[in-house]
Amino acid sequence: MNELSRAHIRDLMSQVLANQGRVLPDDDAADLREIGFRSLDFSELALRVEDATGEELNFDAPGLRRIATVGDVLDFLETLQRQ
Amino acid sequence: MIVGTRAGLDNRIVVGGSVSTWRELPEPALPSPAAVLTARPADALAAARHHAAYGTELLLTSAARVDQAMRDELREAGFTVTGPGSGGGHTEPPVRPRPAEPGRLWLLTSGSTGRPKRVGHTLDSLTTVRGVQPARTWLCPYAPGTYAWWQVVTLSLTQPGQHLVVVDGDELDEWPALAAAHGVDAASGTPTFWRRTLHRDGAALARVPLRQLTLGGEPVDQAVLDQLREVFPAARISWIYASSEVGASIVVHDGRAGFPVEWLDRRLPGRPTLSVDGEELVITSPHHGAGLDGPVRTGDRVQVVDGRVLITGRLDSDEINVGGSKVSAGLVRGVLAAHPRVAWARVTGRRAPLLGRMVVAEVVPTAPDDPPDEAELVRWCAGRLPDHAVPRRIRLLPEIPVKETLKSDV
Repeated sequence: MNELSRAHIRDLMSQVLANQGRVLPDDDAADLREIGFRSLDFSELALRVEDATGEELNFDAPGLRRIATVGDVLDFLETLQRQ
Repeated sequence: MIVGTRAGLDNRIVVGGSVSTWRELPEPALPSPAAVLTARPADALAAARHHAAYGTELLLTSAARVDQAMRDELREAGFTVTGPGSGGGHTEPPVRPRPAEPGRLWLLTSGSTGRPKRVGHTLDSLTTVRGVQPARTWLCPYAPGTYAWWQVVTLSLTQPGQHLVVVDGDELDEWPALAAAHGVDAASGTPTFWRRTLHRDGAALARVPLRQLTLGGEPVDQAVLDQLREVFPAARISWIYASSEVGASIVVHDGRAGFPVEWLDRRLPGRPTLSVDGEELVITSPHHGAGLDGPVRTGDRVQVVDGRVLITGRLDSDEINVGGSKVSAGLVRGVLAAHPRVAWARVTGRRAPLLGRMVVAEVVPTAPDDPPDEAELVRWCAGRLPDHAVPRRIRLLPEIPVKETLKSDV
């Protein structure tokens, strides 16, 4: 599998927000609610990861509810690529 | 019914680079019932005139639309199948011969929702323009034997002064030059056909002296109507809802997408009745195919917006469920197509986490060397649509895709 690095996923996350005129903070601890990163944005990011790797992600994996920070999103998508 | 079919025999026909009249077309020897699979537009016109003269049972279609399984099906149904082949054509006899049904014409549905089906008509039921028309030279870009093809052909066959310039599939991209050379002043095509022409060479299109432009066969959005109005400010621009099943049932001349909501459930003698059941357009039409009298569920989805009934697409593909919120692909497509740097758009749903599906799009830019970026298009949509309907992934295509039916299956 063509696995994306954490930095690459961060770039894609930054693009998602930039398309809406928002900026992704550098701090991985930033709260998703505070930066306005919603389920639509998360879904878009997942599609961007799929497009970049050329492979479908398995979204049935558990753990989605624990995502609250930028770091959680990056952790989750990194993990998901390996499943 | 063969009445009136002589009236247009002296109309001019331009086909395959030759100018002639209906009367001068070669006379084919056709059995009855016959399924004629044509590769050349001139052969299709000759078969149509043969039917008009003799009333033989006929199914006419382009050879490219019929595979071996369909050939076998037609032979099982009693047709002699004649088609192009090495040595100038070949004939396959019916598996189960049967008596011909005089005057019967068969159309194959477009097959956009499965295998093409046969729908029975007559020349009379296909002739929907009966009032005297101003003299026109019509462009016919449609594939032979389709409902839209028969509309143009019956008009030229039955009314004096309705001339015909036929475009073969491989000439499609150059049609404006052909049309300008032969004085075409009326043209009918799908929105995809018009968008593609505007996109490829709008200047060449503007040189065609069009006084009548007609759109049909696909959902018609405001953007394409406005773009054509800009090129042809004085022409009549009409859109038509027609199908093999219910015939030409909605005709709108006011330059706006959709039709007035007041037209729903209006019953006028000799006119189709339009209704909505749930979100589906239901039509009771005097121009229906055989066995399709009474209300026909069209499978097309409608939405009422600002007093207009918009036909947004097929029921089975137009609705995208984004996390429980319904999105009409057709309405999103209309918003994207209205962007000044977008020539064409297709909108679909794509599997996504959390929401089930997300709205995504493909877009052909008006200027391929200076396309709008994704963020610009997302912002354009975000200003006009609810959040969940905004396409988040937008892919650029270099060229407007088109099928033989002149549709893109948007």
